[in-house]
Amino acid sequence: MDLTGEFEARSYGGGATREATRLESLHLGDEFRQLALPPENAGGFTALLELPPTQAVNLLRFTDSPSSSSQAAAVTGISPPPLHSYGTLTFPSDSVLMDRAARFSTEHHQNGNVSGTSSLPSNSSVKTEPAETDSSQAVNNRSGKRKDSDKKAKSWTKKNKSSEENENLPYVHVRARRGQATDSHSLAERARREKINARMKLLQELVPGCDKKVFDLQIQGTALVLDEIINHVQSLQRQVEMLSMRLASVNPRIDFNLDTILASENGSLMDGSFNGTAMQVVWPHQVTETEQSYHHRQLQQPQQWPFDGLNQRAWGKEEDQDHGQ
Amino acid sequence: MASADKPINTDVPEKDVFTLHFLQSLSNLRRQNTFNSPEKTNDRVKKIKKAAYVSMARAAGGTNRLWSRALLRRAAKENSKVVRFPRRKKRVTCLRRRRSNRRDPVEEEEAERLRNLVPGGGGMETSKLMEETAHYIKCLSMQVKVMQCLVDGLAPK
Repeated sequence: MDLTGEFEARSYGGGATREATRLESLHLGDEFRQLALPPENAGGFTALLELPPTQAVNLLRFTDSPSSSSQAAAVTGISPPPLHSYGTLTFPSDSVLMDRAARFSTEHHQNGNVSGTSSLPSNSSVKTEPAETDSSQAVNNRSGKRKDSDKKAKSWTKKNKSSEENENLPYVHVRARRGQATDSHSLAERARREKINARMKLLQELVPGCDKKVFDLQIQGTALVLDEIINHVQSLQRQVEMLSMRLASVNPRIDFNLDTILASENGSLMDGSFNGTAMQVVWPHQVTETEQSYHHRQLQQPQQWPFDGLNQRAWGKEEDQDHGQ
Repeated sequence: MASADKPINTDVPEKDVFTLHFLQSLSNLRRQNTFNSPEKTNDRVKKIKKAAYVSMARAAGGTNRLWSRALLRRAAKENSKVVRFPRRKKRVTCLRRRRSNRRDPVEEEEAERLRNLVPGGGGMETSKLMEETAHYIKCLSMQVKVMQCLVDGLAPK
């Protein structure tokens, strides 16, 4: 639970305390305060996003008053009646919190609340962006503090978790390991190296014969893997060359009447003449299957349906004759 | 701060798309030239090879991939054809800024060799290069399979 709490703190660009995170989710607008609460950990942000527009409009109507104090009072005054429409909601009865929320709500209200529900998600996103840029520096400071307190194994797992969870965010929150510098250059360097390692893993899965190598984070391992990859690419290119030589020697035999085949496939008009032209070409079994699947996929685009039965029969005949040959 | 990666996309279309493109290019070749000249097999081989690569590049995502773009451009230059590509955002300026970051002495030799192999590798950063290599490997293996099928079908033993 502690880790999830930290995750929320980081993802909302929150401050150091739980209260601050709640506050930041709160300062998205005091009209959302009421909805920020039932999933207290999840925070007002996600509740905001799940908010159906009709309810948001209702909330907006309640906050159309000019001054902040009256606004807060109005909200608190009006809040009990709509509460029952949202089910059982708890409400922070802290006066301190409400003061702070009122203060933030004026600031939010001055941002322009006029455009209606469509502006609501954008406002929240605007709020989280500066919050996140603040947090990036906060993370640096925090990581500087934490690197002394964490043990190496613990920080490694946390770093893993943060790198996994942060795949979807525009900023990567990187946790410094013990004894490593935290200036921006080395951080960028480390992020870049992680990117390269991730892609290296991808390549390792592709290239056969790389699986048995050591799962590496060292430079020594990557050199071997890269050698393997280069060998594989070279061998593939050589194979293409050899096959093209073979094709060149075989080629005069081909009686390609591809034009008619392709035209008929695109026009989706299958006559009986289709059979005649296709028969002259000796197709291997796999190629007919793949072309068949391709044809079927193309035919499923809504063209003339009565021809479909004819097509299938035609392909079936072709395959039988192919088997016979 | 570095930006996080979105999931790396290396999807390659199915075998039949490759087949289709390859056969189209072959039939084009047949229409253009006569294949009755046995002494020019070398030329023919080269033409077929080029047709194979170009069709592979076109089948594997057109001009969305860096290596296919470079391949097509190289092929068009030999034909002295003018090729028009939809202009993407300014990659080049980004590259010039990043070039200072790229130095990592141990990997650079290997990356250099990869760059020579993969078409269009000269202007790419190392991470981008690896992505392109992965896609290139997938497409190459697909092309090899297609050609193998064709050769087996046309000259069964």
